[in-house]
Amino acid sequence: MQAIEAFLRGRIWVKQFLPFPEELVQAAIDKGDATVISGISAGGECARCLENSSDYVIPFHCATCGNTCRYCRTCIQMGRISSCTQLVLWRAPHILTKRPHAFSWHGKLTPQQENASTAISESIRKQEHHLLYAVCGAGKTEILFSPIHEALQKGLRICVAAPRTDVILELSPRFQQAFPDTVIHTLYGNSPEQTGYGELVLATTYQLYRFEEAFDLLFVDEADAFPYSLDPSLERTVKKAVKPSAPIIYISATPSKTLQKQIAVHSTIFRRYHGAPLPVPIYRSLWNYERHIRKGKLPKVLTEWIQDKLQKKQPFLLFFPSIELINQAAPLLHKIDPSIQTVHSEDPGRKGKVMQLRAGTLSGLATSTILERGITIPHLQVAVVGADHRVFDRAALIQIAGRVGRSAKDPTGEIVFFHNGITRQMDAARADILFYNREGRA
Amino acid sequence: MNCCLCNQKLQFIPSWRGIFLYEAPDVACAPCKNAFSKLTLPGCKYCGKEGEGKCQDCFYWEEHGYRELIESGKSLYRYNEAMKDWFHQYKFLKDVLLAQVFAKELREALANERAMIVPIPLNEEKLRERSFSQVDQLLLSANIPYKHLLEKCGDTLGTKTRQERMATQQLFRLNGEAVPKQLLLVDDLYTTGTTMRQAAKTLKEAGAESIRILSLIRA
Ligand SMILES: [Zn+2]
Ligand SMILES: [Zn+2]
Ligand SMILES: [Zn+2]
Ligand SMILES: [Zn+2]
Repeated sequence: MQAIEAFLRGRIWVKQFLPFPEELVQAAIDKGDATVISGISAGGECARCLENSSDYVIPFHCATCGNTCRYCRTCIQMGRISSCTQLVLWRAPHILTKRPHAFSWHGKLTPQQENASTAISESIRKQEHHLLYAVCGAGKTEILFSPIHEALQKGLRICVAAPRTDVILELSPRFQQAFPDTVIHTLYGNSPEQTGYGELVLATTYQLYRFEEAFDLLFVDEADAFPYSLDPSLERTVKKAVKPSAPIIYISATPSKTLQKQIAVHSTIFRRYHGAPLPVPIYRSLWNYERHIRKGKLPKVLTEWIQDKLQKKQPFLLFFPSIELINQAAPLLHKIDPSIQTVHSEDPGRKGKVMQLRAGTLSGLATSTILERGITIPHLQVAVVGADHRVFDRAALIQIAGRVGRSAKDPTGEIVFFHNGITRQMDAARADILFYNREGRA
Repeated sequence: MNCCLCNQKLQFIPSWRGIFLYEAPDVACAPCKNAFSKLTLPGCKYCGKEGEGKCQDCFYWEEHGYRELIESGKSLYRYNEAMKDWFHQYKFLKDVLLAQVFAKELREALANERAMIVPIPLNEEKLRERSFSQVDQLLLSANIPYKHLLEKCGDTLGTKTRQERMATQQLFRLNGEAVPKQLLLVDDLYTTGTTMRQAAKTLKEAGAESIRILSLIRA
């Protein structure tokens, strides 16, 4: 495969930014292998993200082409495209090339994992969509290895997409290790350029904007928010990135009811890989916590909870509903123990802080975001400060509770919902966890 | 319609002004707009930077051959985090719609202006590359009439140090339009004041008597 084909196949790329000499690009276009389309169609639809709402496709007087152009705001973070932007697509038909792929994962699956893995392979063979509904700590990634290997052997092009860069960065080395001679591309915002034809693509969901009918098989990890009611363009983009008959495998610990209804074939794992039940949240009231913290006073119940963990030398996470509240609580937490740190989603040092918590150099972390998954901190204790806040919906609360008891050595731990009134979301999260534990025992 | 900055749903709050007078609808929500920070008066006589008397930058210009070139001036906002984000998305991601965020404030600042309003221009090449002039677009969104008198000569400021900037000669030339006695120069971001001083110098030499300046942001 020529370098330009390897780069462009399945992709949709701004012509101006193709990393090839212009003559080479032009030759491919003249030959009919590649084709050029307008960034925004005459009807006002973005060719890259399929946005077509006039709230997001905006007309303006363009000094580049001298006409009234439209530009797309939905995918603007990936570099703005407008009516006069030329996009290049590869059109020449693709011949499937089978080749053997090395597979060097030698771990062992639990019987539940094994069942799910077989069921997913079966769905891929039948080209049907599939939902893997598995609790936090079920060992989801290992379940995918064997189905992915089988698909690679058949010459299928595969993508694993997840909403967060963290997840992609965490998956990348694990897949590189499992498939050492497969060309794996890891794509996220500002990721380094990858060469060759990516047989297995690990990408943030946003990076899928740059693909069109590229994949024979797609895994959507952390599909909790699917079908992305808040961001319909993402759902369109996922569907655009795959070939029409490609099966999509959705993976989630907290799938929406809509997704559960949409996808006919499910496999479920309600049991953690180590077999112990999920810790069940306990409720503690924390009246007017926001006002107290704002006034420089940490509520007594919370202080006592923290002191208890400090005394037992157990690492802990405190989840807060906003960065603002964390900042107000930070000096108060420092007063209790100077080795309690704070972290938020854009903190570049967050990975390091999590490592320090695991190593025991930090006693606790106050956070406004769900931290790296897949990181297991033995003996971890968790409190949600203001579990009644609207940012903590059922799915978020289940994810947070899922941080506790992941280690096989100590599968227990406390998860406390400190609240200013019990919400339906809290009750729903707790009911789900109890349900998983009942089902998981069976 | 959602807020153009945070994409949350915009709450429409009808006001008597909106009912009786035509007013462009808000494109940003109240929390996003509140994150911008207005400069308080009085500040530096020339650029509006907060503090006592002339700011350091303007003091430098006054002492180095640009005395009284600018009669007076002001800026509307501080260059805080929210403003940096806005500026990045507007200028570098080329999100033209974002010009409307400050339409009302610019309109209030300029609606009763009697001097000719003159935007700082981009050079031709840059304009074609960026697809819009960020200063013109701000004025267009505010529905403020303006007229170009200047053209930008070659080189841009981007890569130069402060000293090099200050020493740079002749950033602008006249575009051939008649220069009136009174005018108001408008730019998006006031950093050291080089751009404004150079533009004012060119216009003063062409016969302008009173030059005032307005910047959206004071860095
Ligand atoms: Zn788009
Ligand atoms: Zn154009
Ligand atoms: Zn907003
Ligand atoms: Zn000044």
